[in-house]
Amino acid sequence: MKRAFIVVLALALVGTAGSPAPAQDKVIKFGFPADFTKVYTFITEEWIQGSVDYLQYVNLKGGVGGYKLEWLITDHGNEPQRGIEAYERFKREGATIFDLVSTPVSRAVLPRALKDNMIVVMPFHGRSDVADGSVFTHFFSLGANYWSQAAAITKYTLDQEGGNLKGKKLALVHIDSPFGKEPIPVFEELSKRLGFELGLFPYPSPGNEQSATWTQVRRFRPDWTILWGAGVGQPVSIREAIRNGMNLERVISVIWVAEKDMQVVGAQQARGLLRFEAAIPGRDTAIVRGILSEVYQKAGKGHGKIENVGTTYYVIGINAVAPVVEGIRIAREKFGEPVTTEKIRQAMETLRDFDEGGLIAPITLTPKDHEGGGFGRISQWDGTKWVPKSGWFNAYREIVWDLVKKSAEEFQRSGK
Amino acid sequence: MFYRRAGIRHTSYETDSRVLPIPFERRLLGLLVVLALTAPAWLPDLYFSGYLLPWIIWSAAALSLNVLMGWAGQVHLGFASVMAVGAYASVHLVRAGVPFVLALVGAGLAAALVGSIFGVPAVRVKGLYLAVSTLALQYVVDWVLVHVPAISGGAQATLQVPAPHLLGWELASDSARYYLAFAWCSAVALFTLNMRRTALGRAFVAVREKDYAAEVIGVNTYRYKALAFWISSFLGGVTGAVLAFAYYRVVTPEQFSLDVSIQVAAMVITGGLHSVVGSYFGAGFVLLAPIFLDRFLRAGATLLDVAVPSTTLAQLPLVLYGGLIVGFLLIEPLGLAKVYDNVRNYFLVWPFGYARKSGLGR
Repeated sequence: MKRAFIVVLALALVGTAGSPAPAQDKVIKFGFPADFTKVYTFITEEWIQGSVDYLQYVNLKGGVGGYKLEWLITDHGNEPQRGIEAYERFKREGATIFDLVSTPVSRAVLPRALKDNMIVVMPFHGRSDVADGSVFTHFFSLGANYWSQAAAITKYTLDQEGGNLKGKKLALVHIDSPFGKEPIPVFEELSKRLGFELGLFPYPSPGNEQSATWTQVRRFRPDWTILWGAGVGQPVSIREAIRNGMNLERVISVIWVAEKDMQVVGAQQARGLLRFEAAIPGRDTAIVRGILSEVYQKAGKGHGKIENVGTTYYVIGINAVAPVVEGIRIAREKFGEPVTTEKIRQAMETLRDFDEGGLIAPITLTPKDHEGGGFGRISQWDGTKWVPKSGWFNAYREIVWDLVKKSAEEFQRSGK
Repeated sequence: MFYRRAGIRHTSYETDSRVLPIPFERRLLGLLVVLALTAPAWLPDLYFSGYLLPWIIWSAAALSLNVLMGWAGQVHLGFASVMAVGAYASVHLVRAGVPFVLALVGAGLAAALVGSIFGVPAVRVKGLYLAVSTLALQYVVDWVLVHVPAISGGAQATLQVPAPHLLGWELASDSARYYLAFAWCSAVALFTLNMRRTALGRAFVAVREKDYAAEVIGVNTYRYKALAFWISSFLGGVTGAVLAFAYYRVVTPEQFSLDVSIQVAAMVITGGLHSVVGSYFGAGFVLLAPIFLDRFLRAGATLLDVAVPSTTLAQLPLVLYGGLIVGFLLIEPLGLAKVYDNVRNYFLVWPFGYARKSGLGR
């Protein structure tokens, strides 16, 4: 027993001693402590693969003006203490740009990263109020936050109803967690403004049992049903919607629904379902085609299964890093070397209508706005793929920004 | 050899009832305390703030739960919620202007109140039934945290933790926070070490072994069960507050979820029930083993230059970790503390192995 214990101990020590790669000049390191094993498993694999493949693609094309991009990956199992450990470790190994792919971990690391002036990206996760660049100076949403998504989804229903939602019924079927409750203020404000009746239907976390909730939804007889969930709960919601005789062409989901969920529900049965999207899935975009040919076929350096390339979460992974890489490029050209986080931040704040060759919703960042405009579009599942139903649009910015300001102020005030 | 004690040789009640009866252990502990106190000076930054600091706080948590599970024998599967009550109470108190030390006491009292209320079923039910009723505490606290923004901190459900002030000093640096955590962890350890020697501790043990037998010899089981819940929850509440102030610096509901409860219970069980040193081992194992396994495998993959997909690389440590737990429990069901105990018992009488005697305190 003792010997086994010593062997394990020795192995662990060897493991910790063998930290990789000494720091070189002209390297910018990304840190990806992510949840590969607990709650975010439904996105992480494809997400990180997308991010890393994109960085690899940039490297294969010669890097960013001589800068090579590197990345560090680890699993934090959605546990804040492991996330903090990974953040602190990667920081010492030279990472300056982080994507923590988990809301609890992003929140837990936030005070440290704020103090260290690290660039932290939180596309579609983390805190929505990091959109306020005057408070969260080095944090970037880089995509429509949940409030923007709620506003955009409501705007879409308004347009479909010919500009009048008076007397209509919108049901928000959401997971009963902070994430699920986040959009409620936007819907409530819009319900006052546009005169529709809002019904709130929470289901218990994690969402694998929702039948009781959906009975109530059916009784409410909604004109539009909005799904606000993620992971295991989503296919269950869609299945329940079908079972309760909802018209899926009037069911819109928040960003977290993808091809995999459709397979779980049944690709044909789920036909008609609408969703919010901010990056174009598929393999028709220039970037994804480039990654396929350069990274996978020529170099053979893909970071995972080739089938994953171009899936919904894969392109979100690209969305998470592409604006930062563009920021590095601008920072080097405008402010010269060495490229620091401060320079990258300033450079990113000059991005105008950045869409990475038509892959993602256009992002315009300013020192005040770190969200990028909150653009997105609605797309529909046709049985095999997602078909766009609208162009890129955003809506009710003042409502979103009221919430962002209020929340950011509260954060600033309470952090003392 | 080191212990230089072939058999038990107590010649007075004082030596027999010391906290640590063996001189070598006293010296070893002294050395460890010196090492721990000087850790900020010699331990690399990452190991100090990323591993040692959380380790001692989680050890305090494991010790707090051990009072209840190990000494009084009452199962608790919702201990993280008790810590949550303490964390949230202390943060709100400090924000309201209450001095930090009083806020810690307040955290303990709030947690003790909530914990004892849910400890009431313990006087009626035992074992698995009690485990399930403590789970209720976890769910109730989780629910309240998610549904009362006034407690959890608005739409984002994150509460910023102000820097703690102690006697006019702001505990801003990692080392200051570390000393705070160390002081608390030592206090809990001292308390539990001493508990063995008191009527209270003996009553707990009596209740644990057989509650109606305890009743027969004059121990009021109702009172002591409730007391066990009260004490353990108080300690857990303060530990939660220390965790928030010294380590997390921001509190969110997920930091005190059911997973965390299970982890704390696992720390107690893998470490060893009613063992102080075991709580440290258990906390270290549950907290640090997954991290080191992950680092080890990744370093190995880099060293050997094999391309393993990130997902596989993330799952492997879990497999190993699970294997380690099963392995440990198979080889030593009494936990990591017993491993230490075996080593000690061996050396205690070495080289007179035939004179082996165990049970020399824990």
